[in-house]
Amino acid sequence: MALRRVDLGHGIGLRTAHFGRFLAERPPVAWVEGISENFMAAGGRPLAVLEKVRRDVPVALHGVSLGVGSVEPIPERYLDDLERLVRRIEPALVTDHLCWGRHRGRYLHDLLPLPCTEEALAHVAARVRQVQDRLGRQILLENPSTYVAYREADMPEWEFLAEVARRADCGILLDVNNVHVSAHNLGFDPLDYLDGIPAARVGQLHLAGHADRGRYLLDTHDAPVAGAVWALYGEALRRLGRVPTLVEWDDRIPPLEVVVAESRKAAAIEEELLRPAAVAPAAGPREAVAP
Amino acid sequence: MTLAESQALLHALLEGGPAADPERLEACFAGTPELPAAERVGIYAGMFLSRQVDALRASFPRLAALLGEERFEALCGDYLAAHPSEHHDIGRLGRRLPAFLRLHPDPGRPELPDLAELERARDEVFFEAEAAPAPREALAALPPEAFAAARLRMVPALRLLALAHDAAAAWRGPEGDGSPPARAGPVALAVWRTGFEVVHGPLDADEGAALASALAGEPLAAVCAAFEGRDDPGGAAASALASWLAEGWIAAVEPPPGAGA
Ligand SMILES: [Fe+2]
Repeated sequence: MALRRVDLGHGIGLRTAHFGRFLAERPPVAWVEGISENFMAAGGRPLAVLEKVRRDVPVALHGVSLGVGSVEPIPERYLDDLERLVRRIEPALVTDHLCWGRHRGRYLHDLLPLPCTEEALAHVAARVRQVQDRLGRQILLENPSTYVAYREADMPEWEFLAEVARRADCGILLDVNNVHVSAHNLGFDPLDYLDGIPAARVGQLHLAGHADRGRYLLDTHDAPVAGAVWALYGEALRRLGRVPTLVEWDDRIPPLEVVVAESRKAAAIEEELLRPAAVAPAAGPREAVAP
Repeated sequence: MTLAESQALLHALLEGGPAADPERLEACFAGTPELPAAERVGIYAGMFLSRQVDALRASFPRLAALLGEERFEALCGDYLAAHPSEHHDIGRLGRRLPAFLRLHPDPGRPELPDLAELERARDEVFFEAEAAPAPREALAALPPEAFAAARLRMVPALRLLALAHDAAAAWRGPEGDGSPPARAGPVALAVWRTGFEVVHGPLDADEGAALASALAGEPLAAVCAAFEGRDDPGGAAASALASWLAEGWIAAVEPPPGAGA
């Protein structure tokens, strides 16, 4: 198996602050992403808005609470809620993060880092398979922003993520901003990360803003995409070709047109870089995906 | 260190801060001279608390405004220590906050648990399932002989609160600590949805009792009996039921088994 990349184009995160204007104005975005857990309730406005938007554009369901690397079992209640939502919305993509976030029955509500060890690799791959079997479809795993490294590591994160994708036969949601933030915080070369990710496994890209906290970068999703991240996005496109790209903005949310403009900017960069003449020299051989 | 051990350790460091176990922190995590491992873990620990406080503030905006930032954060810290999140939706973090406030009352602010209960009910009602309301003639369509034993099925997006203070006034009240404590005395409040908007309003004591009886699935005879103290109990019951239908609180009027429709 491999990943079938759905050609969605350019989208934005659908956030509560924009519900009204999104429905009234139908901005020029080709698809939207909703945070899965925000729509798992029985009813109310968020779910109604998402269902309405879904009639017009494809939707990605982006989870934050799966905690696929947590040692304790994934709660049935979570899988039930996710499965019900997936059946209801029929999303184009189902995504979550390469992280852990549950311990002793508690949700820690964070995307906590995993050690890149063989033990963690086997664990995560098995859990991703469990989720995919349950949902009857592939999911995409996203690289998180990271602030601390484990002393114990058998491989770099890009190798870990690539190997999880291969073993579990899942896709990768490559967050370009997170690559930049983690590279800065942990001191690796972001291009090594891009080079280490098998292109055929990447089903989506994320772009977002971060904050410079002096001695580290913080993944805040509360600002425009940084210049260095736009540059890295170009590098990613050169390696991956056309990939559905989504702009996330979750805090200090600006007017809708500002988020849409970021998405248009991403589309313009893609168009510029991937014109037939531009793409030919840069397109290297694609990494083969094992059966 | 196994995966299980490292997760137990990081969990302990999130709850207790990097100082909770500095030796094992250093053994597990790597830092740099510019940003030592303990400070790096501290980034996670800081966000761990602030993210949850933000979520509680979103669910309890009036309580947060009334207490002020510092006291609200202190309350959240105590509450989260007693009731860590057990649900994947961070929006549900505060479901036990009203009960926690009742157990730990603030002598100067006895209305806080009631205010929290109102905000929690508003939060719950916002996310309740859709249900088509019964048509306005649903009660009139009931055969007269079936009326007393018929039952009402109420819509999910409806709560009845029996409170000891006027939480609606506290909810409206001026922000900050300057507002006087809310009036004491039993108050019945209904919380429901019009369209997607959550609203609440007071009920007379007998109408509150009638609604409690309807929500408990009791027959209409019991619901109407709540109005016995009125000059015109039948008229009062009829007008309450008509207003419940008009507000969309009633999903269905269910005749007793065997009664003709
Ligand atoms: Fe992301």
